[in-house]
Amino acid sequence: MALSVEVIKAGLETSVQDFPGRYGFWEQGFPPSGPFDMWSFRLANVLVGNGPEAAGLECQFMGPTLRFSEDCVVAFTGAEMNPTLDGEAFPMWESVAVTAGQVLACGFARVGARAYLAISGGIDVPTVLGARATFHMAGVGGMEGHALKDGQSLNVGAGAGAGAGVPGRRVKQDCRPAISDNKEWQIEVVQGPNDDWIADDGIERFLTSEWKLQARSNRTGYRLEGPDWIFADKASAKGPEHGEHPSNILDHGYPVGSINLCGQTPIILVNDAPSAGGFINPFTVPSAAFWKLAQSKPNDIYRFRRVSVDEAQELRRSIDRLCAVESIA
Amino acid sequence: MKFDTPKFMPGGDHFILVQFGDDASIDLNFMALGLTAAIKAEEVTGVVDTNPSYNSLVVEYESDDISYADLQTELAHLIDGLGSVENLELDSRLAYLPVVYLDPWTRDCVADYSEKIAPREYDPDFVADVNGFEDAKQLARIHSGTEHWVVAVCSTPGLPLMRALDPRCAITSPKYNPPRTWTTLGAIGVGGLSSSIYTTPGPGGYNLIGRTPVPLWDPRQRHPVFKDRVVLLDAADRVKFVPISEEEFEYTEARVADGSYEFNITAYQRFSVGAYKKWVSSLNQDGQF
Repeated sequence: MALSVEVIKAGLETSVQDFPGRYGFWEQGFPPSGPFDMWSFRLANVLVGNGPEAAGLECQFMGPTLRFSEDCVVAFTGAEMNPTLDGEAFPMWESVAVTAGQVLACGFARVGARAYLAISGGIDVPTVLGARATFHMAGVGGMEGHALKDGQSLNVGAGAGAGAGVPGRRVKQDCRPAISDNKEWQIEVVQGPNDDWIADDGIERFLTSEWKLQARSNRTGYRLEGPDWIFADKASAKGPEHGEHPSNILDHGYPVGSINLCGQTPIILVNDAPSAGGFINPFTVPSAAFWKLAQSKPNDIYRFRRVSVDEAQELRRSIDRLCAVESIA
Repeated sequence: MKFDTPKFMPGGDHFILVQFGDDASIDLNFMALGLTAAIKAEEVTGVVDTNPSYNSLVVEYESDDISYADLQTELAHLIDGLGSVENLELDSRLAYLPVVYLDPWTRDCVADYSEKIAPREYDPDFVADVNGFEDAKQLARIHSGTEHWVVAVCSTPGLPLMRALDPRCAITSPKYNPPRTWTTLGAIGVGGLSSSIYTTPGPGGYNLIGRTPVPLWDPRQRHPVFKDRVVLLDAADRVKFVPISEEEFEYTEARVADGSYEFNITAYQRFSVGAYKKWVSSLNQDGQF
């Protein structure tokens, strides 16, 4: 009999995601979606022996309760949500053999915010535009286009990147993202594309200030609270087609990760963000820092560290190297 | 103003923004779409995606396959190869989309906003007024009197950002502030220089003037028009709005639902920027429909 996973409790916006998400359809208005903390997600697949393209679950703040219909191998990575298997503590960052009928339950995220569950075989949902990732705002991908619901049943085993399952593997400590509960994060940023709309002292202020993550943040955008921005003269001396506020610009495309300035409120555009709009983007968070965004909680404090394009790419490569079987003890 | 040489700006570790100028001259969008076509024709190594807009193009790349510096050099080379904007010829389909202007559904949307968020005049009256039109009916005549150029497909799946190709039909209007929290699916909106069609029933800031029963995307690809694609329109396509009645809306909606609706999209033309500009310069631009 084919393996399925019964969703006893869905948790908070738990969704099916795959790596790297729905890439290449930005010009049709589709964001990449995919796991927010790709580092943790990819290691979960490595642990259970799946290929990198296998779909898994992203759990946010409050994880799900799941029952497995057949024996399989499962791994939990990312945020610490006190998972239990039939009431016994379930180890994080390890691949564990689960027997038919066992129940995996999660609580609230204690350290970090997003946990990733990989199941040997991968979750089998239809691909839309080449990806199984959920983009719930448009009802695309994942389980019927949306987050999991109580009582649903997930098919497992025939999905892409299906692995037979290897229990007893563990990710080496120094190969995991350093998810901490100290509430302060240093986030890399690349300056641009619209840094010339901000005055020099405004750039300095952004880089030397503390920014608090607001509660109204999700997989679309991360809203930050901090000091006022100082605009360059250009931001006011512009044609009427650009709009009235200094942060307005004639509609343009948004890079994923751009820090989108709406009035005085910076919003980091993340996995499910709109592809275009009429606000400036003075800085961009590179992909290598996304795991930090994914694992932070409202009221956490960000400080930004400017890096070059080359440094940002090298950071991404260094994470890529860790998402491999060599990271397994 | 068109820049003498385009500006290149980084967007994090895997995007580059190419900007052709700093205003809303339609030539700048033609250049962005010309570059998009050239990138696809040349199959530039490492390019994952393109995201054009009014005067710029965002290019996403895979940095293991091409460096930022090499991509910039490659893009500059392709832009040189485009020559002057008058030389551009772009693949451009023409889609006829039925629309009920001044429809009851978007009227409800505006009324709902007035009641819950901020008092507001009926959008078509407001837009007619700020453009010096006689009334909302003239707004509908003018909006349906031109082909609309698809500047980009962006923001939400399949959403076309459009502007009037006939300068006699240009409409400008301020957007909502604060924005609507909800917009009916298929609503036609105008804001800034643009027209658009809401492809998801979400928030929005454009003034609502009509509604189409035709879907602009379908992730389940049920209808033959979506056989090889998920969205109806591409950048550089053109849209002609065909006014219909409420009864025809309901008839069309039912045909869309049962799969018998025939989409009216012609694909036998290319768009010559030179010929277009020559036509525009021949017009009596004070004439109004």
